[in-house]
Amino acid sequence: MSYLRGFYLLTAAALLLPLVFPDNYYVTVVGVTAALHAILAVSLNLLMGYAGQISLGHAGFFGIGAYASAILTTRYGWNPWPAILAGLVLTGIIAFALARPILRLKGHYLAMATLGLGIIINIVLVQTGELTGGPDGLGGIPTLSLFGWNVNSDLRWYIVIVCVMLLVVWLALNIINSRSGRALRALHGSEVAAEMMGINTTATKTGVFVLAALIASLAGSLFAYQQSFVSPDSFSFFFSIELVTMVVLGGMASTYGAIMGAVILTFLPELLVVFEEYEVMIFGAILMLMMIFLPQGLFVGIQSLLRRVGRNRSELAGPDTGEPEESGRGAA
Amino acid sequence: MALLKVGGLSKSFGGVTAISDLDFEVPEGQVYSVIGPNGAGKTTLFNMLSGIYTPDEGSIRFRDREIVGRLPHKVAELGVSRTFQNLQMFFNMSVLDNVKVGCHLRTKSRLWNSALRLPGTRREEKQAELWAREALHFCGLDKYLQLDADALPYGVLKRLEIARALAASPKLLLMDEPAAGLNDTETKEMRKLIRRISDAGITVLLVEHNMGLVMEVSDRILVIDYGSRLAEGSPTEIQNNPRVIEAYLGGEIEYAV
Repeated sequence: MSYLRGFYLLTAAALLLPLVFPDNYYVTVVGVTAALHAILAVSLNLLMGYAGQISLGHAGFFGIGAYASAILTTRYGWNPWPAILAGLVLTGIIAFALARPILRLKGHYLAMATLGLGIIINIVLVQTGELTGGPDGLGGIPTLSLFGWNVNSDLRWYIVIVCVMLLVVWLALNIINSRSGRALRALHGSEVAAEMMGINTTATKTGVFVLAALIASLAGSLFAYQQSFVSPDSFSFFFSIELVTMVVLGGMASTYGAIMGAVILTFLPELLVVFEEYEVMIFGAILMLMMIFLPQGLFVGIQSLLRRVGRNRSELAGPDTGEPEESGRGAA
Repeated sequence: MALLKVGGLSKSFGGVTAISDLDFEVPEGQVYSVIGPNGAGKTTLFNMLSGIYTPDEGSIRFRDREIVGRLPHKVAELGVSRTFQNLQMFFNMSVLDNVKVGCHLRTKSRLWNSALRLPGTRREEKQAELWAREALHFCGLDKYLQLDADALPYGVLKRLEIARALAASPKLLLMDEPAAGLNDTETKEMRKLIRRISDAGITVLLVEHNMGLVMEVSDRILVIDYGSRLAEGSPTEIQNNPRVIEAYLGGEIEYAV
């Protein structure tokens, strides 16, 4: 399928990187975090960028997955795999139960409700100390193993998390370029028209909310095993905001944009450490400049820029060169 | 035979009556127009017919099934589609995708089938694309296929909304002011399009202010004022009805036609 061309490129790049730069800190350490963030950003983008339902509490579901795996493996001695599954079930139930009342709200009200949800989850993690270890967190989480293959090195974690990321990206691209994906975008464009075309908007919103939460929960479990330690700080309201920033920075309603936003927001602080105390200031300034000059987001902005350049070229070369342009919307 | 039967329909908003005790029947295969001055309750009526509003009283029967109490997507399942007075396009999508959304009810794949790209979904995608192209062709929009919806001029968007509604293959098409804001040439095209829709066997319920268009395309006309029926009949009957002339059309009738 034509929309998967970019995906093959991404796959090749992601798998070649560690071969070209083995044991490189920026690939196998920062790269893993970037891939994890990309999973979260892509899932949030389904909800926010495509379906138009903002969530400021996405880190909460990330936290539920992480803590479910952490608690079940350390306190109850579960095998990591069923613990991931248990985290998914718990997240699914919570997300499903909350989806209806929350997603009746729109705009600012929805933002506030999801913000509250994220904060409540965070408070629960802090307050149920005898289970979660409270603000001190929970350590000694075992690592994953696949048929005796222990995921115990940076490179191995890179492989696992990048593969999950690719899987999530593939699923997201398939959804977006399908009947269900059109329903999501239609709901964003005009809810009343979507209903009139036979789309059950309530069920569609619930579906995408639960799906995004499940992906976040899976990412959370992987995060817990990779770090072997979790604390509530990783799942705070600030992290939810960071995820929203990734989606907006890369370009709403673009899966590749969400990945790009995640990669930039993960690498930028790493690269800015040379500026020492000015790091945060410069970071903020870069974000502001990007939003001023590329308000549709980095990826979408660059994409339309390239398209414009391409068009000028073909005009210079004379009429009837090149294929008719495909619409950029939704394809990525 | 009546495709749509409306009986004793009433709706008020906080004490203001929008529709009161309205009865009418839309015969199958006809172009049936509802006219009336601004604020007569036409759009309220449309919103009840499409399930967006629930009437306070009365019934709406479509092919002997009750519409009242159904959500809009359930009404759409019965074979009712509509366009909107103020455009409700999906401006975040391409022209083709907009119309593909119209095929939603004619296709079935669920979230998980789509996510895993199971073989059935690919076949369905091809079919949906075919239907969408057909609907676009029917409305004379072939050349806009690959564009984004927000790149189109107003007159084209009006037709695109109709193409999207037709892609659902409806039995009844509700058209809310399809000619509003169109110039003379575009209105002429719209008139032809409505005729072609009717010729294709789709019953059309039309709300429109352009009297020339209404008189020309309609088989029957219902005149409402203050939410109740003022008159009903063929275009000629309506034009010669003294109550209509006096209460609504006034001296304008000669000029308007």
